[in-house]
Amino acid sequence: MTALAVKKKNRVRETRKDRIFNGINIVFWIIVLFIVLYPLWLILIASVSDPDAVLQARVLLWPVDFSLMGYEAVFQYSELWGSYLNSIFYTVVGSGLSVIVSLAAAYALSRRFAGKKLVNLAITFTMFFSGGLIPIFLNIRDLGLYNTRAVMILMNLVSVWNLMVARTYIQTSIPNDLYEAAVIDGADHFTYFFRCVLPLSGTIVAVLAVYYGVARWNDYFTGLVMLRDRSLYPLQLVLREILASLTSTGSSDTFFAAYADNLGGLQEALRKAEVAKYCCIVVSTVPAVLLYVFMQKYFVKGVMIGSLKG
Amino acid sequence: MSISVSTSPRRGSLKHRAAMTLRRDWQLWVLMLPCLTFFIVFCYFPMYGVQIAFRDYKAAFGITGSQWVGLKYFEKFFTSYYCGRMFLNTFLLNFFGLLFGFPIPILLAILLNQLNRKRFKGFAQTAIYVPHFISTVVLAGMIYLFFSPTNGIINHLITAAGGKSIYFIMEAGWFRPLFIGSEIWQNAGWNTILYIATLTSIDPQLYEAATIDGATRWEKIRHIDIPHLVPIAVMMLILNCGSLLSSNTDKALLLQTSGNMATSDILGVYVYNVGIAASKAQYSYASAIGLCLNVINFAIIMLVNAVSRKMSDISLF
Repeated sequence: MTALAVKKKNRVRETRKDRIFNGINIVFWIIVLFIVLYPLWLILIASVSDPDAVLQARVLLWPVDFSLMGYEAVFQYSELWGSYLNSIFYTVVGSGLSVIVSLAAAYALSRRFAGKKLVNLAITFTMFFSGGLIPIFLNIRDLGLYNTRAVMILMNLVSVWNLMVARTYIQTSIPNDLYEAAVIDGADHFTYFFRCVLPLSGTIVAVLAVYYGVARWNDYFTGLVMLRDRSLYPLQLVLREILASLTSTGSSDTFFAAYADNLGGLQEALRKAEVAKYCCIVVSTVPAVLLYVFMQKYFVKGVMIGSLKG
Repeated sequence: MSISVSTSPRRGSLKHRAAMTLRRDWQLWVLMLPCLTFFIVFCYFPMYGVQIAFRDYKAAFGITGSQWVGLKYFEKFFTSYYCGRMFLNTFLLNFFGLLFGFPIPILLAILLNQLNRKRFKGFAQTAIYVPHFISTVVLAGMIYLFFSPTNGIINHLITAAGGKSIYFIMEAGWFRPLFIGSEIWQNAGWNTILYIATLTSIDPQLYEAATIDGATRWEKIRHIDIPHLVPIAVMMLILNCGSLLSSNTDKALLLQTSGNMATSDILGVYVYNVGIAASKAQYSYASAIGLCLNVINFAIIMLVNAVSRKMSDISLF
């Protein structure tokens, strides 16, 4: 009863100007959401439509002549699936390691110790200055990491930005009293980190996992520069050949032509490829988006806490 | 018989405190060790290796064994035919990107904050983050598909409206709009996070007081929201100025075609092309160009930061 009264009162307080503002704002957001979501929807419906309908741009709001032949074709692209497995490996092992290394360092940087200023400076400096692509490449080659799986794991192991977010999170959301209490009980840094900080860091672990995971899943440049063997290629590098190698128009066709025998001849393989491209986008993007959607709840909260004073 | 007390200094003495610090801190250093090793090996080793920009790098002699050549490669670069064009292209791409890309997240954050239907607001916030999770390769692929001259949806709409089909990806005039437009589509929503976090931390009493004083929503935005956003916006601006000459090489590499070279020929891609992709890679030459870029970027960010600190007391460090 009282809640209702308050609600009514609020409504009365909205002036005419405010109501106009609200109306315009909602229209604005409907337009924004359309711009953001329509391209994604278009890919989804094109991936389950008939190639001819897609080529004639008849697929606008709903799938036309529903068919799964695109996905059937994608299923044949063995090289895509090989790279898919590679990417899963790079992403899971790489981001797992990234999260552990970052969190441990973030904890250390959240405490006071002699030399902290220097460490902070040395780390932040790498954000603004780097040796450049070629010295980085030569360094990797000299270390014997060129064209190995290890380079895909170790390159970009720690991101300064993520490290700062994690440090701020630990500083602001874990009370210092807890540390003092633990020290009185005889805890050292190891005990405190593993027994108190880690169990309280669920949110930030989720945030870091999404940040690192998505960055690794989506990265193609590292592989482009550091890998030579096609068997080591991550997914994005193979996708590049399928989707975005129009620099010389025919080159994505060579990829599709390789699977012509299983797809009813060259003509048919290339026809199916028109839809298969959309299917490839769906198949490669869904893991990253799903990860975000599932983690969304922790995510927004954790990022905000972490970024406030970062 | 003397009892040696000197080995364990008295409590409170300087020596004792130093010993205590070390005993307490060594575990922190162990926790940082993997992280520090990473930065030293993968960030600072290459900074040492950047000296090959001043040497004539030969793989057989290694980085420190190659012949010194001084500024030879810098001269070669600055006197090369396309040097001016590449600097201009790189700068303009980033400048326009900043000009259009920077205000939009702020606008989105303010307007999102004004949405008073909770579920719609939550949905909108979730939705505008989604494009950020799409990879650069897929984004470029989407541009190729949607803007294709023969069967892309955009050109179908243009021809349906009576216009002439445009080969977007092959025209120099369309490279920047495509690059920046897709950048905004992908990241404007994501970049609202900082601003939204700032807005939600504003004391609600301010809004209540403003309401009592008869302020409209627009006036609340002008007098409460915007002043609160200025410091963080200035910080982001400084940070962005540091990349006016570094661009998204990976994306430009995907969108560069033989047709749009006049605008898409940017420094980052050039470094990749002469240093990595070329069959006879010119390591020293490419390093020299990369070093130029990094030094200029670093100088710009330091300068902007200093100016901002003088003028507004807002700075990164």
